[in-house]
Amino acid sequence: MAAVQDAPMELDAEKETKPEILSDGTSNLSGNTASGTLSSPPLTAGGAPKQEDQQTLIAVLQFLRRNKLTESVEILRREACLEDQEDSQTLDGSGGGKGDGDGGDANSLLSRVSIASAAAPQIISSTSMYDQPDVSVVLSAYSQQGDPSLYQVYYSSLKNFIESVLDCHRAELSQLFYPLFVHMYLELVYNNHENKAKAFFEKFSGDQECYYQDDLRILCGLTKKEHLKGNEALLDFRTSRFVLRISRDSYQLLKRHLQERHNNQIWNIIQEHLYIDIFDGMPRSKSQIDSMSGSFAGETRREVNKAKVFYGLLKEPEIEVPLDDEDDEAENEEGKPKKKKTKKDSMGSKSKKQDPNAPQQNRIPLPELKDSDKLDKIMYMKESTKRIRLGPENLPSICFYSFLNAYQGLTAVDFTDDSSLLAGGFADSTVRVWSATPKKLRKVKSAAELNLIDKESDDVLERIMDEKTASESKNLYGHSGPVYGVSFSPDRNYLLSSSEDGTVRLWSLQTFTCLVGYKGHNYPVWDTHFSPFGYYFVSGGHDRVARLWATDHYQPLRIFAGHLADVTCTRFHPNSNYVVTGSTDRTIRLWDVLNGNCVRFFTGHKGPIHSLAFSPNGKFLASGSTDGRVLLWDIGHGLMIGELKGHTDTIYALKFSRDGEILASGSMDNTVRLWDSMKAFDDMETDDFTAATGHIHLPDNSQELLLGMYHSKSTPVTHLHFTRRNLLLAAGAYNSQ
Amino acid sequence: MASPKTVPKDAQVMMQILKDMGITEYDPRVINQMLEFTYRYVTTIIEDAKIYSTHAKKSNVDADDIRLAIQCRVDQSFTSPPPRDFLLDIARQKNQTPLPLIKPYTGPRLPPDRYCLSAPNYRLKSLQKKVSSSAGRITVPRLSVGAVSSRPSTPTLGIPSVQTVGTKVGTPVSLTGQRFTVQIPSSQAASVKSATPTTPTVQNVLINPSLIGSKNILITTNMVSQNSSSDSTALKRKHEDEDDYDAL
Repeated sequence: MAAVQDAPMELDAEKETKPEILSDGTSNLSGNTASGTLSSPPLTAGGAPKQEDQQTLIAVLQFLRRNKLTESVEILRREACLEDQEDSQTLDGSGGGKGDGDGGDANSLLSRVSIASAAAPQIISSTSMYDQPDVSVVLSAYSQQGDPSLYQVYYSSLKNFIESVLDCHRAELSQLFYPLFVHMYLELVYNNHENKAKAFFEKFSGDQECYYQDDLRILCGLTKKEHLKGNEALLDFRTSRFVLRISRDSYQLLKRHLQERHNNQIWNIIQEHLYIDIFDGMPRSKSQIDSMSGSFAGETRREVNKAKVFYGLLKEPEIEVPLDDEDDEAENEEGKPKKKKTKKDSMGSKSKKQDPNAPQQNRIPLPELKDSDKLDKIMYMKESTKRIRLGPENLPSICFYSFLNAYQGLTAVDFTDDSSLLAGGFADSTVRVWSATPKKLRKVKSAAELNLIDKESDDVLERIMDEKTASESKNLYGHSGPVYGVSFSPDRNYLLSSSEDGTVRLWSLQTFTCLVGYKGHNYPVWDTHFSPFGYYFVSGGHDRVARLWATDHYQPLRIFAGHLADVTCTRFHPNSNYVVTGSTDRTIRLWDVLNGNCVRFFTGHKGPIHSLAFSPNGKFLASGSTDGRVLLWDIGHGLMIGELKGHTDTIYALKFSRDGEILASGSMDNTVRLWDSMKAFDDMETDDFTAATGHIHLPDNSQELLLGMYHSKSTPVTHLHFTRRNLLLAAGAYNSQ
Repeated sequence: MASPKTVPKDAQVMMQILKDMGITEYDPRVINQMLEFTYRYVTTIIEDAKIYSTHAKKSNVDADDIRLAIQCRVDQSFTSPPPRDFLLDIARQKNQTPLPLIKPYTGPRLPPDRYCLSAPNYRLKSLQKKVSSSAGRITVPRLSVGAVSSRPSTPTLGIPSVQTVGTKVGTPVSLTGQRFTVQIPSSQAASVKSATPTTPTVQNVLINPSLIGSKNILITTNMVSQNSSSDSTALKRKHEDEDDYDAL
């Protein structure tokens, strides 16, 4: 296996030898001439203030402790506390001994620390570890102090080499350009070589791939070290490792070239900042690479997507469906006990035995069904019998709800599952609920009036509603910023809204007042979504995390951290055990609700992701972003299985039909497109997914899969919803400009 | 966009910044917002720096003062989200606790009362200054005399709006304390699906006492928004109003 992958284990090995290096003195080290040496020793060690070196030592101690190397810890502490003489000896010796290229950043770390320890005679206090600097932060402070004017030379020579290499390897090695370019530029900026950084940028930024242009634009505005401080995403870029997938042959080529040419600057950057996932097999073609790359942190490592995901649906509870008048067996209603009717439709449980891909019923606590929920389920089953079967020959009708006079202030829309209510969130911080049926919206009477009604009457549930204020729509006031996400609860009792003011508010749809404000994100919350079973909801915002809440806890239950940039879209899986988040860092992550782990990591989009949709059977995920592409993912295997091109602008709405045969997508280019998802998924299921590399060659069949394209009159589509009978509802704000 | 000749230099700089960052479509007001922000920020920083330099008994403001001023302001105005390792850390802590079990049959599942907003101690007074040029059907305003307290529901969409209007005078024995409620149904406006929030308007209009007498009259006009339901209740009100005319 390649050395780079086994970095953690090698670090351990190096750490064992470390005490010997320190205590033995010069003799061993002078023999340690590496094949490649740095052109200049790290400047920071010699003239650096004691504080920095102390910090480094503390960070190293922390690292050793974390890896449970207690003896090394003791020895290091003893050594570091000794007088200067012994340390100066080690300084001379270890100065020449730079670690060789293999072994990752461990050797460079070791050598620097041993030099640094010379200048730190202070006793390292053994106060709590928690306020010690983290190792990675310290490491990032250590710049690779290559001669700044030579950066351009290094980069050009690498560029020439890659262009001279065989075609099959060239595509793969070209992946190196972007991360190397960014890291070199950031190093120049970090070390205050502003002019060199600008020159470097100007010379090489044009060569980069087109889908990195947005990032490059942000970079070109960053010319000073202070600019980096506020930019969290770039700081994370510096400390996290950009993942590249390269075949073994290409990697050998690259390694040989870099090591024989003594410009270890690039090699050091690769070791420190890049993670090269090596696979055995054919090198990938340019199109394969293009389809998977584009995210802020490179691609995914193979082992990340191997965890088991329970993507099956939970079993539907058995409910007695009372026979109604329309049935032929009307005579059974009276007298005989009601027969149990188990619906044999596709969404119900397939059989009595447990689906191996479905989670256990009690894997996560779910609220039990109330009587009203059971009635809802019965209504659902009745409606589903009247559902239209959709297909390529039978396209759905589309009913478009246009919001007039919104003046570009409509920021969020949601429908209830039974399509009876429609909610809109606006930029003026109001939320408005409409009734989509002739039935008006009524709220519960005030307490004084409730005292007066007859509580024993049969229609008490109607009497508690206030007829005098019944109206078609109700306004909800409370937020202090634009409302970016709305979500109805499945039982139609609650409405959630998330806003730029950092709170998520729960509104009651019985009294049309605000019940709770959930404060946790202190930054704009871009999206929120109720669980399909109620009780839980997820929200994602500018602070780069998604939070899982329950309506009766004022603090979140789970925090899903890992994205490098804002979380723009959050959705629950139909079985409520998983949450998917799409982010501005152009990746999609699937999180397990039970323990908060990220179980799937999908890259491939070239722009921030704004819409996500699960197929009704829970196996597949569709995602849409600003690049106008819809990507289809297989959750079980963790692979991309389809790409739907056609839209020309951001896709804000994605929805699968009730049986999963059609995928509808709505975008800012004022169109709704219908795609044949059945065909897209069938094509892929025949292939052998267990191929080790998992590289898919995506067929360019977007045109065949497109079933219909429908233009609206200058109204971008904000939301799509299939009714229970498979009528497609669309919503958007009419844009008169 | 205004021609470069008439646009001041500062605004030109802003336009150039937007162009450099690749933003081609923007509202013209964005330039003004950027200018305002710039002026406000720079003025604040320089004022702070002046204070620091006088504190240090320096005769001039120099770069160190500015640097200090910027540093002090950065934490106040420009907060950035917490760093990644911190988030990962708290996420790890939070995700270790198992999900709490759900208690059965507890009614609406809400946090403890002190974390809820279900007990507000205020009401929203709907005060939308809609110009009363309601083209369309303007009927003769109907006067209804009576104490405010005994009229729980003049036809508005919000029940308490009448009570919040004006101050209570007390028992409406004397005519000087009487309130008149004038009701002007507004015209039927655009479609129901209009997104502009249309709340009922309550306007206080003080009429020249000499017209009606020496009474201190406060006339409340309720501009009822386009709703067939309120119109129907308005019609209902007419019957009750006739009783009041008798009382007069």
